[in-house]
Amino acid sequence: MSWVGVLVRVAGEHYALPVEQVLEVADMGEIAPVPGSPPEIVGVGNLRGQVIPVIDLATTLGLSGGEPSRVVVAEAGELRAGLLVDEVLDVGELPPASEPVASAYLLGACLVDGALVAALDVDAVLGSIGSREASS
Amino acid sequence: MSASDEEIHELVRQEAGDCLQRMEANLLALESGEGGSDEVDAILRDAHSIKGSAAMIGWQESATLANAIEDRMERARETGSVPRELVDPLLRGVDALQRAVNGEEGVAAPLVAELAGVGADADAEAAGTSGASGEGRGQPAARDPAPSEHAPTIRIDATKVDRMIDAVGETVLYQRRLEHAVESTGQAGRQVSDELEMGERLLGDLQDSVVQMRTLPLRMITSPFPRALRDLAAEEGKEAELVISGADTQLDRVILEGISETIVHLLRNSIAHGIEPPEERESAGKPRTGRIALRAHQRGGMVAIEVADDGRGVSAELLARADEAGSLADLLAETGFSTAEALTEVAGRGVGLDAVKRSVEGLGGGLEVTSEPGSGTEVTLLLPLTLALMRVLLFERGGQPFGLPMTSIGRVVAVGETTSLGNRPSIEIDGEVVHLSYVGGQRGAGGELAERPPAIVVESLGRRLALVCDELIGEEEVVIKSLGAVLSEIPGYLGAAILGDGRIALVLDPNHLLKARREAMAVEQPDQKNERPPGQVLVVDDQFSARELQRSILEVAGYKVEVARDGREALRRIGEIPDLDLVLTDVQMPEMDGFELLEAIRGDEAHASLPVVIVTTLGDEASRKRGAEAGADAYIVKNEFDQEALLETIERLAGK
Repeated sequence: MSWVGVLVRVAGEHYALPVEQVLEVADMGEIAPVPGSPPEIVGVGNLRGQVIPVIDLATTLGLSGGEPSRVVVAEAGELRAGLLVDEVLDVGELPPASEPVASAYLLGACLVDGALVAALDVDAVLGSIGSREASS
Repeated sequence: MSASDEEIHELVRQEAGDCLQRMEANLLALESGEGGSDEVDAILRDAHSIKGSAAMIGWQESATLANAIEDRMERARETGSVPRELVDPLLRGVDALQRAVNGEEGVAAPLVAELAGVGADADAEAAGTSGASGEGRGQPAARDPAPSEHAPTIRIDATKVDRMIDAVGETVLYQRRLEHAVESTGQAGRQVSDELEMGERLLGDLQDSVVQMRTLPLRMITSPFPRALRDLAAEEGKEAELVISGADTQLDRVILEGISETIVHLLRNSIAHGIEPPEERESAGKPRTGRIALRAHQRGGMVAIEVADDGRGVSAELLARADEAGSLADLLAETGFSTAEALTEVAGRGVGLDAVKRSVEGLGGGLEVTSEPGSGTEVTLLLPLTLALMRVLLFERGGQPFGLPMTSIGRVVAVGETTSLGNRPSIEIDGEVVHLSYVGGQRGAGGELAERPPAIVVESLGRRLALVCDELIGEEEVVIKSLGAVLSEIPGYLGAAILGDGRIALVLDPNHLLKARREAMAVEQPDQKNERPPGQVLVVDDQFSARELQRSILEVAGYKVEVARDGREALRRIGEIPDLDLVLTDVQMPEMDGFELLEAIRGDEAHASLPVVIVTTLGDEASRKRGAEAGADAYIVKNEFDQEALLETIERLAGK
């Protein structure tokens, strides 16, 4: 089944988020680091008077060498956070992410114009922060 | 701020209105045959709630009628069904209760009699009892409120108010940016500055009123509690006193309104189930008078409201059963469960804690109960801190602003020589060795520290530590926002505040800081002896923010500070304050400006030599000249405002 995704670039790789879970692409200005938080937490940002946490997607996915510049605000149930990406490429219909991928943060992958696009599991990315910290 | 009786009455009236609406809907459901035992329980809870809060504020007529409805429903619950012919009188009872709550007199008695009589054949004895209890407390209805002309209220969806708060906050930011842009051109004439300042003042007022739409101190609802508690105790033949602390804790208005009846429940429970009769207390080696503590404070991202009594506690057998039920709170909240041996007017029928639990959970909070047989019970309401105001001391570390609640701060010291205690760097303050603490836990986090960095002495529960920072920003009242569900497990923060310049200040949890340093040894020393008395400064500024910033800087530096909003008020205050050492004044103010104030001071023989420092946005040559001619001791331009230069100037002029 095809789905509509927001296509982003993170450290040279292409990922897609389900459009229903993306609230907006924001320019958040200065992000305040939160001492004591896990490494993938960049800090908290001011989104028009709302304080929201910002997660570095590259660190979460174990990538390096990105040039994060944009914040995609995503939500999963009660959880809401900004995801730091290099670039937002497109919003469009994507083929089913049926290729299996060995990552807790990905649902699967699909081919778009010959390039591999991995579908992000937004619930897992946002949900991982609290639980990991709680168990440590 | 203290709540007027009318404000409290209005809160009770609103709550009762909600309860009555639900009661009506539930009665109608029962009549149509759709309702069942859930509806009966709900009606009981609502009647019980109204009875509780009405009795607390002395609305006897409403309390009596609510009690009659509760009695009748209670009998219905026992038989397992509500007869059709009962619904109509109950509905009329609900209507009459609404009128009684609105202040109408004489509406209760006929309904109380009727309700006691309906179905009396089926349960003659119970009807007799309830009729008698209705009569028995027939105190004069004179304390019921007169039909009052209270200000009309409107109800607004809370998310709309939140959106408004955010929008106003953003507008304030843009105003500041605009001011900055205009000032940096250096071309701002007096008229433009005046207009900008007026805009800032108006926006400040707007912001204050919007935030007030959302928060109130707990004090708003606590003022009637102590006397009401004594009355309740007297009815039960007990003696009890109420000790309230933390009444200034700010709570979301929605939450505050929702918990007044809940706290009333808990106080009544403490009297009925907790506090023993005086003789029993004496033979148990306790003071005759029971003590109930109502405490409010922030715990992590929540507000905790505790009602603790030093009564008999629950039985050991009950505690054992609590393990099976999950928790003591769960067990006590089971419908129909009551620890009271006899049903009395005061507490009643076990619906109490059930109602409490539902109401707190409905607000997104939780309920905790701890109890020790023989020594007391403590019930804690944990309420979400969706939005709360807090006075914080803002400071900077590593180029990032942080805040600490003012309530936790002892004072600020400069870190000189450090010693090592238990392998940790420490400093000596008044002969006591205090551990140094760093934001993020490490000395290195946030970059190199200055040679003698300031440290904020954080105190709580007899422990203290010194948190090292780069620079103090000042004291400010901020709106604390949650860091969000994603970061909810990260300890150490009460939340975050968005500052005037748009930056985010993380607000540290002092209890967490101190917990992390629990092992820190402190060599107890008696209180420090007083040094020379602090200097007394009068700050004159019509802008709240400027006034408070200067006040906090001076207070942190050890001065006593009084404030005035314009020259005229300042002149009056100067005559009133003994031992005034210095006046710090703005220039542009309504009524009487700073230059006029200065001239008036110099013209008054008694104060002619009083040091006066002008702090103003007017940096032009003509203004400076006018200040010097009028006899200012120093002239500080706000654009170049520098905390240390200000303090040095004041120290020089006010130093004795």
